[in-house]
Amino acid sequence: MSPEPIIAARGVTRRFGGLVALDGIDLDVPRGVVQAIIGPNGSGKTTLLNALSGASHADAGSIRIGGNEILRLKPHRIARLGLARTFQTIRIFENLSVIENVKVAAACHIPVSLLDIVSSNARQRRCEADIDLISREALQMVGLIHRANDRAAQLPYAQQRLLEIARALAAKPNVLLLDEPAAGMNMTESMALLDTIARLKTSGITIVLVEHNVRLVMGISDRVTVLDFGRKIAEGSPSEVQRNPLVIEAYLGRRHRHA
Amino acid sequence: MKKGWLIGAASAAATLVPVIIRDGYIIQLLNIAILNAIVVLGLNFATGWTGQINFGQAAFYGLGAYTTAIAGQAGLPWITTPLLSVVVVGAASLMLGLPTMRLRTYYLAMTTIGFGEIIRLIIVHWEPVTGGTSGLRAIPGVSLFGYGPQGQLQHYYLLAATLALAVLVAARIRYSVLGRAMIATKDSEIAAEQSGVDTARTKLVAFMIGAIYAGLAGCLYASSIRFISPDSFSGTQAILLMTMLIVGGMGSIAGCVVGAVALTLLPEALRFLGQWYLVFYGVGVIAVIVLAPGGLASLASLRPRRAGVS
Repeated sequence: MSPEPIIAARGVTRRFGGLVALDGIDLDVPRGVVQAIIGPNGSGKTTLLNALSGASHADAGSIRIGGNEILRLKPHRIARLGLARTFQTIRIFENLSVIENVKVAAACHIPVSLLDIVSSNARQRRCEADIDLISREALQMVGLIHRANDRAAQLPYAQQRLLEIARALAAKPNVLLLDEPAAGMNMTESMALLDTIARLKTSGITIVLVEHNVRLVMGISDRVTVLDFGRKIAEGSPSEVQRNPLVIEAYLGRRHRHA
Repeated sequence: MKKGWLIGAASAAATLVPVIIRDGYIIQLLNIAILNAIVVLGLNFATGWTGQINFGQAAFYGLGAYTTAIAGQAGLPWITTPLLSVVVVGAASLMLGLPTMRLRTYYLAMTTIGFGEIIRLIIVHWEPVTGGTSGLRAIPGVSLFGYGPQGQLQHYYLLAATLALAVLVAARIRYSVLGRAMIATKDSEIAAEQSGVDTARTKLVAFMIGAIYAGLAGCLYASSIRFISPDSFSGTQAILLMTMLIVGGMGSIAGCVVGAVALTLLPEALRFLGQWYLVFYGVGVIAVIVLAPGGLASLASLRPRRAGVS
């Protein structure tokens, strides 16, 4: 474990009117691990992910990613700092082809000027070739290369989820946030997804996985953080967390505490 | 392959049509249709691809036309007028775009309607310069080092070549980082941002490129029709341009051209109906929107439309 965590969040707080969705969360994610964030519905998992990715800024606290403070940065700046994500409710670009969806993110670190585009010069063609290569690799990684030229909206649901992962990978992230990637998938599809996540881990990407389904994440996670009512109630290895009475209570209710 | 055929057939038709028709009035009408097509192609950047409702396009068209007319009548050589039009329209669209691109849908629509009305009022009331409601006449024609198109037919070929260039540039943008970022911004602003797209900048760029298309079309309008008046650039015109985009097919380059040409020619084709023409026109527009929500362009392929192909 490298000494400096890739994500270091301190006192992250988010309020929606009177509701405190995140109440001073601290979170350290070491480089190269799979970190799961679990918790019952409404516990603040997605809100935390939105704060980390800049989709919906936290009101207070500090979030450092790779040493950069990102609390109030726009999402595209955070993406360019090496953080990519997927969404709980699918957000693909329906009017683009499958590969074009991925190309949007692949262009993340490749600057092109309007003049290059309009004149279609050598630099523009080289950039397009690079983008195409990165995008094909990302599609290969999730097993969607055979659908590259289809319209994204035509993909079945589970493949749209994989497309989101491919799009996130094409931005060459150091950190990948996956928001309930298995939601709506059947057992076979979920298992294939776990395989993909395991492969990603070996390539060195740090993965933060938000899941509602606890069983699913226990096998592949190195560390688990448990949220309840916007607070962190437990953190540790999967087996530690599973034995934690607070976690059992949060998931099953007070009556089952001694069950 | 299919695309190559389409472009070839369209070019051949565009070359032959005026030779076959030989009617000065119809060629003049085609010239206006081509200019409208360029303006609608411009509108497509912001509205068709980036999803920003823009009713200011007619005002940018007018700004380009009046800049050209005023500069020409002041004695500036023609070659300066496209550049001046781009500068004026670029500056206006930047000033309008910077504060408004954060606005969404209806709010942006309202703001651009207001902008169009301001430009129209300036044109109508700044009489010594703009000629007020009676407009400007005898605007100097297109001329490069003493050479310029003579007659409507030559103007037709000049304008058709400009449209071809406008289509080429639009197609290059569509299949580039920028074009994909525009469509991504329309489909999901947050997913585009998280993929590293600066959506605020993308919206501004789309809006400005579109305005510049309109400004250049306005420049050519003034110097090929050689008479301009506020009516050609009113709010009604802005709505007509939006209708051309919707009927032709939002987001489709071919659709922009088809929509602009169809809706420019249709009122003339229906002229024999007298006052009833508006009824047929309206019914026709509604029929397209109801029966082919993707616009006329979506009728071209009976197969399910593939992404980006159109």
